[in-house]
Amino acid sequence: MYSIKVREQTKKEKDIHKRVDTQDSNMASPVPVKEKKLMEVKLGELPGWILMQDFTPKGIAGAFQRGYYRYYNKYINVKKGGVAGISMVLAAYVLFNYCRSYKELKHERLRKYH
Amino acid sequence: MGLPIAVLIVMFPSILFPSPNRLINNRLISIQQWLIQLTSKQMLMIHNQKGRTWALMLMSLIMFIGSTNLLGLLPHSFTPTTQLSMNLGMAIPLWAGTVITGFRHKTKASLAHFLPQGTPLPLIPMLVIIETISLFIQPMALAVRLTANITAGHLLIHLIGGATLALINISATTALITFTILVLLTILEFAVALIQAYVFTLLVSLYLHDNT
Repeated sequence: MYSIKVREQTKKEKDIHKRVDTQDSNMASPVPVKEKKLMEVKLGELPGWILMQDFTPKGIAGAFQRGYYRYYNKYINVKKGGVAGISMVLAAYVLFNYCRSYKELKHERLRKYH
Repeated sequence: MGLPIAVLIVMFPSILFPSPNRLINNRLISIQQWLIQLTSKQMLMIHNQKGRTWALMLMSLIMFIGSTNLLGLLPHSFTPTTQLSMNLGMAIPLWAGTVITGFRHKTKASLAHFLPQGTPLPLIPMLVIIETISLFIQPMALAVRLTANITAGHLLIHLIGGATLALINISATTALITFTILVLLTILEFAVALIQAYVFTLLVSLYLHDNT
């Protein structure tokens, strides 16, 4: 439900952007920087956007929750989900564990000098 | 092994079990629901009304241990159930719970467990001691059984895999050893059978203590 609300907002934003760009491209956009999605932020506004994001524990938890539901609704909560949904998660888990144990695995490479 | 990462890894299997929202769910949840219904019917058949209040505990136990052991078969992963501390932390409270429940509700029957029926009179003191020892060794056996089985399986996979890699330059033996690895992994995927063993043993203990 949350994602549908955000999608409609960006469609409205795109119309606003079109009108703004025809008039004056240097003017600051009428939508506040904080509420834009990452793809909509202009490059110059990027540091400001990063700093204005919500870094409280509640904000970070909200970000994880949004990311989880985004993945879940796209790959698993569909009528004919396949094995790809869960195997992507397991592949990411394997990769995470490989990165975690890289320091010990470094010594087992086939090199003459370690 | 950093402590925060271990906490994340222990909590990871819970992500793989989404909670059902609707009457007809997606395929992942439907498969899990079907498996859980199958297992719970099988397991709770032998219990009476009082024993069946433990249904949630037993089902979550089997789901946790099963998923943790199966995830440990992925390459490079860490299995929390290889740590004896964790298995003791699971076994001792659950076993103690069954014993205390038996003592509270059926004191005479629980104490009577210490002496099997029909023993000759001179043997009674020794038998009571033996039965007490066998009672107190139950949680240790539960924990050590799980730890030893999983650890031994992982160790074998590591060793045989390493041997295969070393023998690749010296061929003709390689095919045989690779086959051994394959068979061993398949057998090790009966880690799930080990879960069955764990919960079943726990179950038997609960049954004997509470319902007899």
